[in-house]
Amino acid sequence: MDTLLTADIAANAPRYRRKSSTFIDGIHDVPEEADRAPAQLYSTMSGRLFHSGRIAIVMVGLPARGKTHISVSLARYLQWLGVKTRIFHLGDYRRATVEGGGDVPEDYFYPDASPASVMLRQKILKKCREDIYGWLNHENGQVAIYDAVNPTASGRRSLAKEFAKHDVQTLFLESYVNDDKLLLENARNVKIGSPDFANMDPDEAATLYLRRIETKIPSFETMNEKELNYIKMINAGNKFFYNNVSFNYLSHRIVFYLTNTHIKSRATFFVRAGAATEDASYKADAPLSKEGVKYAQVMADTLEKHREQEHAALKARSGPDVPKRQLTVWCSTRLRTLQTADAFKDRGYKVRQRSQMSQINPGVCERLSERAIRRLYPDEVELHELDPYHHRYPRAESYHDLAVRLEPIILELEREQNDLVIIAHESVLRVLYAYLMHCSTMDIPNLKFPRNEIIEIVPAAYQNEAKRVRIPGLDPSTVPGSPEDICIPVPDSGAGTPAPLPGGGLSSPAEPVANAEKPPERVVNKAAEAVRDRITDVD
Amino acid sequence: MAPRTNGRGVQAEDTKICVVMVGLPARGKSYIAQKAQRYLTWLSLNARTFNVGSYRRTEAPQPSADFFDIGNTEGEKRRRAAAEAAVADMLGWFRQGGVIGILDATNSTKERRKWVMDVCTAEGIEVLFVESKCDDEKLIMGNIRDVKTTSPDYKGQDPEKAALDFRNRIKNYEKVYKSIDEDGDEDSYTYLKIMDTGSQVIINRIQDYLQSRVVYYLMNLHIRPRSVWLSRHGESLYNLYGRIGGDADLSERGHQYAKRLPDLVRESVGGDRPLTVWTSTLKRTISTARHLPDNYNQLQWKALDELDAGVCDGMTYQEIKDVYPDDFIARDEDKYNYRYRGGESYRDVVIRLEPIIMELERSEDILIVTHQAILRCIYAYFMKKDQTKSPWMNVPLHCLIKLTPRAYGTDEVRYQADIPAVSTWRGKGSTAKHEDPIPDSGVAH
Repeated sequence: MDTLLTADIAANAPRYRRKSSTFIDGIHDVPEEADRAPAQLYSTMSGRLFHSGRIAIVMVGLPARGKTHISVSLARYLQWLGVKTRIFHLGDYRRATVEGGGDVPEDYFYPDASPASVMLRQKILKKCREDIYGWLNHENGQVAIYDAVNPTASGRRSLAKEFAKHDVQTLFLESYVNDDKLLLENARNVKIGSPDFANMDPDEAATLYLRRIETKIPSFETMNEKELNYIKMINAGNKFFYNNVSFNYLSHRIVFYLTNTHIKSRATFFVRAGAATEDASYKADAPLSKEGVKYAQVMADTLEKHREQEHAALKARSGPDVPKRQLTVWCSTRLRTLQTADAFKDRGYKVRQRSQMSQINPGVCERLSERAIRRLYPDEVELHELDPYHHRYPRAESYHDLAVRLEPIILELEREQNDLVIIAHESVLRVLYAYLMHCSTMDIPNLKFPRNEIIEIVPAAYQNEAKRVRIPGLDPSTVPGSPEDICIPVPDSGAGTPAPLPGGGLSSPAEPVANAEKPPERVVNKAAEAVRDRITDVD
Repeated sequence: MAPRTNGRGVQAEDTKICVVMVGLPARGKSYIAQKAQRYLTWLSLNARTFNVGSYRRTEAPQPSADFFDIGNTEGEKRRRAAAEAAVADMLGWFRQGGVIGILDATNSTKERRKWVMDVCTAEGIEVLFVESKCDDEKLIMGNIRDVKTTSPDYKGQDPEKAALDFRNRIKNYEKVYKSIDEDGDEDSYTYLKIMDTGSQVIINRIQDYLQSRVVYYLMNLHIRPRSVWLSRHGESLYNLYGRIGGDADLSERGHQYAKRLPDLVRESVGGDRPLTVWTSTLKRTISTARHLPDNYNQLQWKALDELDAGVCDGMTYQEIKDVYPDDFIARDEDKYNYRYRGGESYRDVVIRLEPIIMELERSEDILIVTHQAILRCIYAYFMKKDQTKSPWMNVPLHCLIKLTPRAYGTDEVRYQADIPAVSTWRGKGSTAKHEDPIPDSGVAH
């Protein structure tokens, strides 16, 4: 076997980037250990999932149908559930195999392609599939997501047969779009950043792009193979058609998840609740202090201003009649978050209370100093330091408990089409942030959300982007961790903490920002570049 | 998931959903409806089924097939009145705080569906249509036989005559039946269409999370006949000492039960048909299942492990009362919600068992060998046991329980191994190592 070539692919493919800051979406990192399973409910002796063996989820659909977005979302969710999942983008293999930027010959997808093109296609496919088998059969992988066009029925039939030979079950997942408006929007959002379309009217560029796909892949057949297991997602989740799927719990769980996802763009903002009055225990559920009320107003002002600016920027990019997205506010049923949300209610936004979003229960640690906890529960502290994510103090919740409790929120977060402000306790923000940015379980208890920053997360096809927005003019004493945060001694995650990326990546949202007068800062912009790199991505 | 209010009296959740069943008779609609209700109630959501048939029955207790002929204006009028009465009651129930109402009727015409849609929408209630469509003659006949023996419509009638009458009744429905969105003009509705017991499924326009959750559950259901067998592990050494939790070995008598279990199962199954066996990951359930035949596929689930008693793991109830007197009292006051220090509550166990229930609904015949608290929760799901009572149920050792879900409830048969074992049942406030259960704590009613 040509292991050199495989290694070459590994080195060149973006998903093999091994370290990243927690400010960069870690969904494409290769986990070093099985430490990225925030909500794992149970595991099996064999290490296989739900006893259902190895599974390949094979994507089907033309470019600009949101396949990559679906693959990445699904991987995010499955990994969060504790399933060992990896995405294999055929495009990565093409780029590593084809010289000069990965452009394939014009007839690459033609049914009557030239022998050279057929050979090239076979070579790329073979490498990708060998990696899939290797990962599933030798690296304890559970679900491989194979992201490619897979345009023909005959190709899909033989693929299922080939996977079966390797003892891998196949579930096809097609994204089918026949709504022209949706197609144009997708193409506009993701694909037309390419230099080819510079200075062109966005609609015109999108139309041109879609026409190119049609000539490039003339033989696409939508799924209708009665004997195959498939899920057809029609018009980005408006309708699902589900055929002959004999896959236990997992396939239904996937459909459950997919019925809650969409590919429209929106932003999620994470903000803290204001500071409470001095009686700040978990059980007391105290109201906001005077500073807390002021914070709520300043924060809401800042957020509104920021959204205005983003909308203006969007209009400049995509035309004057781009509507401003609606804004929804979620808070927990705790008094402080409710009162903080009032600042938005007063401005006419809709506020929803979610009981699942109440803060982590500190149990016996309530009102104890770190020193007192160490003195009273030395054994527990020792256990906690070994596994700060899963360990629970007496009567307390662990972060893992919190993650399991937050699963409905995660699905509703995916479902939300408006921009969303989440006002919650730091513990809740940590777990939700970890889902969206895929942080390791060792890092989650350490993530910090100072009050003078709004964290904005924008989902993108390849990886999510996080930005921070400074809230100016706050009393510095109200900025750090909330007084009712659990004073549980959390160890430094040491070697587990990903090293900061050189040149701008920050190790956690807590890193101090030097200049308070800076405009909203874009911390990382990898996703856009990653997507730009994939403009011609047609496998 | 229960509607909770905070200090300001604001409801945390305000979605209301009417699940409207659609489909010809004998397609398992009532079965689906009552399963959904049971599942939602088990998860502490306020759910109720409104069966139009039972409203109609008060007027026409045992009608013949002619009653259901569209040409029969009198029958049509009465059936319409029954539907209106059921919907009126349902709307009243929603106004009292109901969360998910299930309208169990054929709703087989576009006109009827539009009427339900309009009435609910006017009240701010979301509508989710759930259609069960099945053309498999064998399955339909199986359902008819099942229904005719259990449906109140045919109580005390000759089975053959009843089956024939029921076939004719279905024919009358078939004349006007339109599958949902069959003509493409009901695409604006939210619906789930299950065809041929799930070999094909269409899901259309899911509006919110709760709907997706109901759909997810219903997709896992099937209407093929099957049973679930439940057994606790054989008597363990900890059972003898009156200690809770732990990972102890079986006692001598526990080993005897393990040896007896294969015969007990065979007797109950009525043949050599192999079952799939699920155990927990603890020694005592694995040992209990180890003499079962080789052709029984065995799986271990972490989620079937006993309720985690946290710091009290390995203690006797007397020790718990001595060391944690407040906890001992708190647990007996609200056993369902009490969470052991560093451990779990029954409510926590129900949440972790949800995937097991989902998998169980998908599967055919399953034998589960597990622990007292886990068995109480699973039993409560199948037998619709109240949360305040289920943690106090007596589930004796060395006894095999067979549960068979049917359209109108679940049948239960028990098989005693006749191997003595200690009682691990405990009454409120008691610290006895072993005590005899009081009569109404049994699971058989």
